[in-house]
Amino acid sequence: MIVLMRAREIMKRPVVTLAGEDIAEIKDIIYAGEAGEVAGFTLNGRGLLAGPLKTALPWSAVHGLGRDAVMVTGEDVLEERTAVVERSARSGAGGDVLGSRVLTDSGTDLGEIVDVILSVGERADVVGYEIDSSEALGKDGRKVLIPLPDALSVSGEALMVPAAAVEFVTDDLSGFGAAVDAFRARLRETEGSASPAPRGTA
Amino acid sequence: MRFSEADGRKVVSTSTATTIAKVAGFAVDPSTQQVVALHLKKTHGDADTVLWSALTAFGVDAVTVPGPDAFVLAEGETAVLLDKHHSVKGKRVLTEGGDDLGKVEDVEFDAETGSVTLLITKTAEIAGKRLTGVGSYAVVVRRA
Repeated sequence: MIVLMRAREIMKRPVVTLAGEDIAEIKDIIYAGEAGEVAGFTLNGRGLLAGPLKTALPWSAVHGLGRDAVMVTGEDVLEERTAVVERSARSGAGGDVLGSRVLTDSGTDLGEIVDVILSVGERADVVGYEIDSSEALGKDGRKVLIPLPDALSVSGEALMVPAAAVEFVTDDLSGFGAAVDAFRARLRETEGSASPAPRGTA
Repeated sequence: MRFSEADGRKVVSTSTATTIAKVAGFAVDPSTQQVVALHLKKTHGDADTVLWSALTAFGVDAVTVPGPDAFVLAEGETAVLLDKHHSVKGKRVLTEGGDDLGKVEDVEFDAETGSVTLLITKTAEIAGKRLTGVGSYAVVVRRA
């Protein structure tokens, strides 16, 4: 089953073993790859005075990521934080995008990224962003969700999306999954027509 | 029978027919989904635990035991399960998928065998055999 979640909702969520002990809480998400796949989580200790832990939780060791907790089989699945971070060193779309602007490839500023939308199932991928919309979107500056292509280019400054993304903007998570699918299907269609197979060259 | 009914029930010696303790708590082993021991109060002496296997019967009006010799000091795993951090009642229920199902308000068990049959929350009744963990933070249950 695939569930859409906001990345911010996952922060601070407790990490609980199947034996029912809370061993940590989520500090931040470690992203990897061009598709913005979730590679794992950095951790804080539990309790008011607890700080960052030297261990991290690799995605492969997540037993369940639910509304209220991140479940693991036991404390032994945690790994050295540096090891998990290094494995995902070729970091892509996810990362530090909060506060960046979203630009279309036709040059329109759509707004500022305030949250990351993840599709969580067997894997967890970045499928969209929540943005404080600019006037260009005609949403009265409300927060909206914008779908992302499978792979995209990001700089520290801005993130570029195909102009067609504007047609698939939604106001909340319900219906956003369908919007992402429809948007990506459209991109595959247009890719097909933009680079037709060579013919008649023989 | 439910924990709420069984809590405070008198523990009677079959050899003297006198009340020698009262039920004060339950140790549930998540690996077998069984009540494995009872915590006792108002005992004479330090031994404040009776293993389920040492009970003569868990009756409607009284728990019967052969005598005060059945009482022991909790050790090892039983002691851990009996401490107040591992009480099932009052604990939040998490599924292994990480969703909260509410707090355990009561537990139903089979008085013959000690098997936990139901975990009862405000909004749900969860089959006892789904129980997989009883920790200090949560009770964990398998997917339905």
